[in-house]
Amino acid sequence: MSVLSDRSLRRLGRWSFSGLALAIFAFLILPLVCVIWVAFFANKIVSFPPEGYTIDWFKNALAVASFRDGFLLSLRVSALASLSALALGIPAALLIGRRQFPGRSAIMGLLMSPLVVPGIVGGAAIYMFFIEWEVATEIQMAATLPGLMIAHTVIAVPWTMRVMVASLVSLDPALEEASMNLGANRWVTLFKVVLPVARPAIVAAALLSFVISFIDLELSLFLVGPGRTTLPIAIVSYLQWTLDPTICAVATIQIVLIGSMLLIADRFVSISKAF
Amino acid sequence: MGAASSSSLASGAAVGASRTRSAAGRRVGAEYLMPAPGMLLVALFLLLPLALMLRFSFDHFSPGELLTGAFTFENYQKFFSDGFYQRVLGTTVFVSLVTTALCLVMALPLSYYISRLDHPRLKSTLIILVVLPLLMGNAVRTAGWMVMLGDRGVVNSIFVALGFSARTILYTPTAVIIGLTSVLLPFMVITLQSVMEGIDRRIEEAALNLGAGPLTTFMKVVIPLAMPGIVAGTVLCLILSMNAYATPVLIGGPKFHMMAPTIYDQVTQGANWPFGSALAFVLMTVTVILTIASSLVIARMSNR
Repeated sequence: MSVLSDRSLRRLGRWSFSGLALAIFAFLILPLVCVIWVAFFANKIVSFPPEGYTIDWFKNALAVASFRDGFLLSLRVSALASLSALALGIPAALLIGRRQFPGRSAIMGLLMSPLVVPGIVGGAAIYMFFIEWEVATEIQMAATLPGLMIAHTVIAVPWTMRVMVASLVSLDPALEEASMNLGANRWVTLFKVVLPVARPAIVAAALLSFVISFIDLELSLFLVGPGRTTLPIAIVSYLQWTLDPTICAVATIQIVLIGSMLLIADRFVSISKAF
Repeated sequence: MGAASSSSLASGAAVGASRTRSAAGRRVGAEYLMPAPGMLLVALFLLLPLALMLRFSFDHFSPGELLTGAFTFENYQKFFSDGFYQRVLGTTVFVSLVTTALCLVMALPLSYYISRLDHPRLKSTLIILVVLPLLMGNAVRTAGWMVMLGDRGVVNSIFVALGFSARTILYTPTAVIIGLTSVLLPFMVITLQSVMEGIDRRIEEAALNLGAGPLTTFMKVVIPLAMPGIVAGTVLCLILSMNAYATPVLIGGPKFHMMAPTIYDQVTQGANWPFGSALAFVLMTVTVILTIASSLVIARMSNR
């Protein structure tokens, strides 16, 4: 009898522990679920429960110029930054992931340093640097597409490196040796052996860099200009005045876009390993 | 000069060596240049601007002029003599400490739960669902908490439905802490979960077999073994909450001040670069001190 009650006590403990874990999990997920829910509300003033449902807010969201332009600018900046980060990160990862040499961790440290510089601090520093640059050379950088792209490439490089180095470190050196022994030179080995093996990591790194650039808020705040804002900044400036289903529809579009890219990336390389 | 002459010597030697060897040597040398473009980008567009900002923080501010070239401590003196900015820093430190503590308390059970799931598919689904919000962006996630905490938001609707009166939650420090905790929780969960995944389950079983209850096992066995993850997660959450922008601006409202939005206003709206730069370095210094102090406190608590 006492054994039974002891066991049921254990079971009760385990169930309440699972309940606690899932409640904390809900705390994490619920805000996003609510944003998506409100995006379909029929009433313009957000109140619960809704009077009905509609998809009109999505049409409305695309009609607002700052959202449409912001979305297009964000897409362009993120695509360019992601490609640039790959172009700079893959060669670096090929060396760091496959060779041991003195100074290796210093190089890695430098390339990872954008991760430890807070966005606001880095953004302020880059902004002042760009203005000084403009004063010195008369080439405008702040509030331009190249300026945004360069800054976003800086923050995307560490993520590209993380994914690429993790993949290349686990590459068996015997594969390369076999290829070289069979008469392939370094370039053939690189393009026919190493890069094909690393392809999933390249796809994942490209998608993750895109996402990191797309969602950036703090750094971009300093680098956007009038009529040239990224989507997250357009969202924040709108939210400072109004909270309505339109903004929730915009947020939902971003959630769907980012979510699908991350799920695709996760098919190639487990994205939780990038943290 | 010395470096230039030695490299010309080396290339002279390479010319003298056999053809294949010199080609191989050049290729090996070229290989070490592969990280150079990336390093150049980071150095030129992040480290150089930061160095420049450090210099600006010692410059004298005169309106209408970008830089005067003076060298003065007046910006740091202004920070330490003006009560407003000290209160802003105090609020930032307070919010960050509470947020980080809440993240730790909430992440411990959740990450332990995920790390001990026997169902691989459920486990990877939960991990993805923890990581996804993290990468949705602070703007969107903060919008979520505005929907939750607004005057007619989800929480107030539940209050009213339960017969309580609606209350103002948005634009209070409490709301900022709630929102920030939710924004930063995934970082702590991912960090802790990966460490807990590595803890041998047989150690817990041994503790249970020796008569320790589940709670005792968790407190005396799991938490001490998860210490590296607890320290890493705490440091990460402290850094991110000290520098938070979107949450204090949107959920805190116009009267609530934290450091990151204040720096933004100084640099762009006020165009006071020297003072804005000084604020940024005060923030970074305090953040570093806070992370070191919290690591020491956690280490001492775990040694006891």
